[in-house]
Amino acid sequence: MQSSFDLQYIIELMPILFKYLGVTMEMALWGFLFALILALGLALVRVFKIAFIQHLASLYISFFRGTPLLVQLFLLYYGFPQFMPIFVGMDAFTAAVIGLSLHFSAYMAESIRAAILGIDKSQMEACLSIGMTRLQAMKRIILPQASRLATPSLMNYFIDMIKSTSLAFTLGVAEIMAKAQMEASSSFKFFESFLAVAVIYWVVVIFFTRIQHLLEKRLNKAY
Amino acid sequence: MIKVSNLSKKFGDLAVLKDISFEVAKGEIVVIIGPSGTGKSTLLRCLNYLETPTTGQIHIGNATIDAVSHKAKEVTALRQQSSFVFQNYSLFANKTALQNVAESLITVWKIPTQEALETARAILLKVGLKDKFDIYPSQLSGGQQQRVGIARAMAAKGEVILFDEPTSSLDPEWVDEVLAVMKQLAIEKQTMIVVTHEMQFAKEVADRVIFMEDGFIVEQGSPQDVFNNPQHERTKAFVKRALKQH
Ligand SMILES: Nc1ncnc2c1ncn2[C@@H]1O[C@H](COP(=O)(O)OP(=O)(O)O)[C@@H](O)[C@H]1O
Ligand SMILES: [Mg+2]
Repeated sequence: MQSSFDLQYIIELMPILFKYLGVTMEMALWGFLFALILALGLALVRVFKIAFIQHLASLYISFFRGTPLLVQLFLLYYGFPQFMPIFVGMDAFTAAVIGLSLHFSAYMAESIRAAILGIDKSQMEACLSIGMTRLQAMKRIILPQASRLATPSLMNYFIDMIKSTSLAFTLGVAEIMAKAQMEASSSFKFFESFLAVAVIYWVVVIFFTRIQHLLEKRLNKAY
Repeated sequence: MIKVSNLSKKFGDLAVLKDISFEVAKGEIVVIIGPSGTGKSTLLRCLNYLETPTTGQIHIGNATIDAVSHKAKEVTALRQQSSFVFQNYSLFANKTALQNVAESLITVWKIPTQEALETARAILLKVGLKDKFDIYPSQLSGGQQQRVGIARAMAAKGEVILFDEPTSSLDPEWVDEVLAVMKQLAIEKQTMIVVTHEMQFAKEVADRVIFMEDGFIVEQGSPQDVFNNPQHERTKAFVKRALKQH
């Protein structure tokens, strides 16, 4: 049966969906924060070629880049509690944040590593020559310069992460996609419901893309 | 104060330094000359442990290290006894001139920031950069960058400053201002080891000239001895060529 497009329905649905955007953004922000910390650790382990751990880091990166995010989320939320008691009772929101962090940290580690390797090696030598340790050099000279190089791609991953939070509805997180799904199945207006949620994601992404450009402009004239 | 014993360095099968031994006294100005590719940079870099020697001992100030059994702590301790002026300046790109000079004081020597900046200002004044404190390296001329490089090395509180062809990357117009700063340091009896092709500087400033070729010290002595009365054929040939160019 064909029904006519219901614009009125979309207009009324927007504010309802909008209330759930908070959960979506919260997931993305926490996920990104933890991913960034993990990624930095992974990148440093690989740059410093720390014995043994660097191979674990490579394995980690290979696994999380080599398998779908949805599979990782299911493994974490439905799989692990079966034989690792600490995961029993983990709520879906936490599981989603952990899953997103692990997944994106693998990608972000590689772009941070590339940025660090993109800094001329004379910068590290200059640090060492005045008696700094490698770690001090990283903190004070190399990472600040590398962060400039890494920012555009890290911002891309953040935007990607916002969109990926939609997978959390499969774990039962009451975020914006889950709400759209619920509304769609009770009103049977699938097209309108999913169009509405698409538009909201789109606007959010445009907003952060704008911020990304402003940030890049500022970074480009820093020194 | 500096004692290098039986230092050798190989890159794979290529022996670049072959059993080098020498000493430098406190306040002495040593200039190293020699054809390019003979290991002059490698020698300086080994003293600062930017390269790891294959065998030999290095003693600077109160730090001693043996290439065969060196530990990370000893490496850092040795590096703190010397500082390096690079041919291509290698200033910290994300730091202003002032911050470049203050960095070792703050990070290595844990001096309170305000005090460190005060010291750094005084050093930049000495090298004639009083109006460049807050300028980033990318906005400085080559000569100014290298003077910041020297100021950074001066601030590092090492016993000795190592210069690796400090004027070779400079446009000719900036060479003199950098040499002038180095001469001033020499007058103040700052211990220095300088690799350079500036023969005039070597003649005027050096207490001792070392001629290196093929990873060996061929000959050393006062500038007078080495330039006017070289003992070895290789030294004679090199000095003759080098002096003709100037
Ligand atoms: N990192 C390196 N790896 C391999 N060979 C090197 C390296 N650094 C220098 N060499 C070689 O060592 C020799 C001496 O180089 P260098 O110390 O730079 O000489 P100089 O400073 O006297 O011109 C050259 O043959 C050079 O190619
Ligand atoms: Mg050289």
